Amino acid sequence: MYSAFGIVNSSPRNILVEGLQDFRPIGAFSFLGRYRVIDFPISNLSNSDIDRIQVYMDNNKPRSLIEHVGTGRHYNINSKSGHLQLLFSGARSWRDVYNTDIAAYIENMESIEKMHHPYVVILPNYMVYSQDFDTLIGSHISSGADITLLYHTIDNAKESCLHCNIVNLNRQKGVLSIEPNPGTAKNRNIFMDTYIMKKDLFVSLVKKAAAYSSMFSLLDIVNAACTGQIEGMDLDVRGIPHKGFFAPITDFRSYYDANMALINIKEAQNLFGEGWPIYTRTNNSCPTHYMDGADIRNSIVSNGCLIEGTVENSIIGRGCVIKKGAVIKNSIILADTLIGQDVHLENFVVDKHARLIREKEIIAPVGNPGYIKRRDTL
Amino acid sequence: MKQNSMLAMILAGGRGSRLHELTNKVAKPAVSYGGKYRIVDFPLSNCANSGIDVVGVLTQYESILLNSYVAAGGRWGLDAKDSGVYVLPPREKADVGLDVYRGTADAISQNIDFIDSRSPEYLLILSGDHIYKMNYAQMLAFHKASKADATIAVIEVPIKEASRFGIMNTDGETDQIVEFEEKPAEPKSNLASMGIYIFNWKLLRKMLLADMKNPDSNHDFGKDIIPTMLNDGKRLFAYRFKGYWKDVGTIDSLWEANMDLLSPNNELDLNDPTWKIYTEDVTTLPQYIGPEASVTNAYITQGCIVEGEVKNSVLFTGSKVRPGAKVIDSVLMPGVVVEEGAVVQRALVADNIHIGKNAVAGSADSEHIELVAQRVKGAE
Repeated sequence: MYSAFGIVNSSPRNILVEGLQDFRPIGAFSFLGRYRVIDFPISNLSNSDIDRIQVYMDNNKPRSLIEHVGTGRHYNINSKSGHLQLLFSGARSWRDVYNTDIAAYIENMESIEKMHHPYVVILPNYMVYSQDFDTLIGSHISSGADITLLYHTIDNAKESCLHCNIVNLNRQKGVLSIEPNPGTAKNRNIFMDTYIMKKDLFVSLVKKAAAYSSMFSLLDIVNAACTGQIEGMDLDVRGIPHKGFFAPITDFRSYYDANMALINIKEAQNLFGEGWPIYTRTNNSCPTHYMDGADIRNSIVSNGCLIEGTVENSIIGRGCVIKKGAVIKNSIILADTLIGQDVHLENFVVDKHARLIREKEIIAPVGNPGYIKRRDTL
Repeated sequence: MKQNSMLAMILAGGRGSRLHELTNKVAKPAVSYGGKYRIVDFPLSNCANSGIDVVGVLTQYESILLNSYVAAGGRWGLDAKDSGVYVLPPREKADVGLDVYRGTADAISQNIDFIDSRSPEYLLILSGDHIYKMNYAQMLAFHKASKADATIAVIEVPIKEASRFGIMNTDGETDQIVEFEEKPAEPKSNLASMGIYIFNWKLLRKMLLADMKNPDSNHDFGKDIIPTMLNDGKRLFAYRFKGYWKDVGTIDSLWEANMDLLSPNNELDLNDPTWKIYTEDVTTLPQYIGPEASVTNAYITQGCIVEGEVKNSVLFTGSKVRPGAKVIDSVLMPGVVVEEGAVVQRALVADNIHIGKNAVAGSADSEHIELVAQRVKGAE
C-alpha cells in the first residue's frame, strides 16, 4: 500500500454534453440507473486504499454533485484518517478561458500543499473505468518515470473519443506528445486524463503552468514537458495501458453509448470486477415491482420502480413508473420518471422527473438518440 | 437534536424455531424479508421515523449477526449525538451474576440501569420480529391523552382467529382495557395485542423490581405485568392500529408475507416516501433482466440477474435465475442461484442456496411451502 492522495478533476471547458449538462456537471450524471459517473473514480481511489480525496467541482450547477458526494462516507473511506474534500475553482464562469484545472489547483494550493502523502493520483470525473491505483503506483515507482499517464487503446478512433486526447508513444512507452484526437486513424491510444506523479512534482508543475500561461492546463504543461516546448523541462513521462471497460463521457452520444454497452452483462463484468465494489449514495428505495403484463428483456432496472409495460434493451433509473401498454426500447430513463399508458418511446434519454403522458409516439432515429428535458411534461 | 421523552426497547432474543433452518444461525429478527430487508428493519425504521432517538435491542439467541447488524445505527439514521442503537445481551454486573433473559419482562428488568441512564418518561416495548409500519409518536399522544399508565397497541383480527392471540377486552367508549385474556377459547373481543406497549417508566420500574423478586412469575409482560397492572386497578388503554401487521412465525407465513408485496395495493407499501424502511446499504449492480427472460408479477431487488422465467415470486439481493430456469410462486433469499433448466415452485429458498442444473425444488400442489435449506444437486 503506497501513500498517495487522489484528485478527482472536473471536465475541461471544451467538453459539453448537450441537454444533461444544462442541469448538472458530468460527474453527477446518472449512470446505469443507480450510479453517478463520479462514483467510478471515487470508488477506484477508495478501493486502492487512497482515502484522502480532493474532488474539484465545476462551477456550473454543482448542487447535485455536492449532494451526491457529500462527506464521502458512502465511498467507504476511513471515517477518521480518511477525508474527502469538495473544492471549488475561482473561475467566474464555466466557459471562461481562465477556467482551467491549473487555476483551480492554484486556488486550492494550500489544501494541496498540506497533504503529507508523497504521491498523487489525478483522474477525471467524466470517464468511467475501473483501475487499481495501488498496483499502478507500484509500476510507476519501479519504472523510475517522473509521470505516468494511463491510456486506453481503441480501434475506432475515427468515430469515437473525438473529444478526447491521444498519447503518442515511442516503443518504450515513453510519451512523445499529447494532442486532441484528430480522428484520422482507427487505432489510437486515448489519454484517460489520469496521471500519477510525486506530489512535489505536481505542485511545481502547477506553479510553472500558471506562470507560463493563464490558459494552460495540466495536460498542456505535461505535453510541454514531453515535447520540449518549455526550455529546461526534462521529464520522463511514460504511458501505461488500461485494460477493461473504458468510456469517456464527453458528449451526448458517448453518454448514451456507454450506458447501452453495459446492458450486456459480459461487458459489465469488465467494469464491475470481483472485489471491486462501486459505491454510491443509497436512496433507500424498495425493490422493483414487475406487475402482471410486464414484459422486460435485456434491460437494467433500478430499485423502486413499478413496471406494467414493455421494456427492451433499456436502462431504467430509480423510482420510475411504467404504465400498462407503454413500450420502451433502446432508451435510458433517469430516476423518478413517469412513462404513461400506451406511450411508445424509442432511442431516447429521458431526464429525471419527466412525465411522458400525452404524446404517444416519441421515437428518435436509431443511431441518433433524442433527449427529453428534466421535469418536462409531454 | 431535541432529547426525546420516550425510549424504545426492542425484544429481539427469540429464536423463532418454527422457521427451522432459517434461524439455525440467526435470530428471527435478522431473517431476511421483502427482497432487501431484515425483519428488525421495521421496528427500527418505525422508531427512526417516529422521532425516537435511543433504541435498545435486547438480544440473546444466535446474536452475532444481529448484534453487529443493529449496532450500526446509522443505517436507520439513529446515529446523531445523543442518539443510538444499543445492543443489550444479558451481562454480568458488579452485584448480580450473569443470567439469561428469563422472559420479556426480565429482559427489561435486567437493563433498568441502562434505561435509568437515559431517564425517559415513557418506555416503548417492541417486538423485533413483526412486519408493520406504525407511528409510535401517535401512540404516545394517545397514551398521554388517555392519561394511561400503560397503552397496548391492538389490531382487529377476525373473531374466529381471535383465540390464537392475546385478547384485550375493553370498555367500548374509551378503549380502556378491563380484561386481558391470553389465547381465550371463547374470545369476547377481536382486539389482539400486537406486543407493543408504552409504559410510564416510573411505574413500570417499580413493577419490574417487584416482579424480579416474585418466584412464581414467568417474568413476561403478557402473563405477569399486564394482569398485575389490571388487578392493581391501573389505567390501561388499547390503541387501535389499522394497517398491515404480520408476525411471521412459520415458513408458510413468511412466504405469505413476501407474497403480500405482490398485490398491487398492498397495505404495507414499501414505496411510501413519507415512511421509508431503511436497511443495510449493499454494493451491487442494479437488476439485470436478460434477453430471454420473462418476469411477471415479481418483486426483485438490486444485484439480481434474471435470465430465465420468474413469476409470482420475490427475489432477494443478488439472487440469480439462469437461462431456462423457472421460479414460480417462490421466494429466493439473498444469494440464491437457480441454474439452467431448474424449476423452483412454491418454495422458500434459504440464503445462498444453489439449485443445480435441471433440478426441481418444491411442487405446485404441495400443502405447505417447501423450505429449501440445502444445496439441490443438478440432474442431467
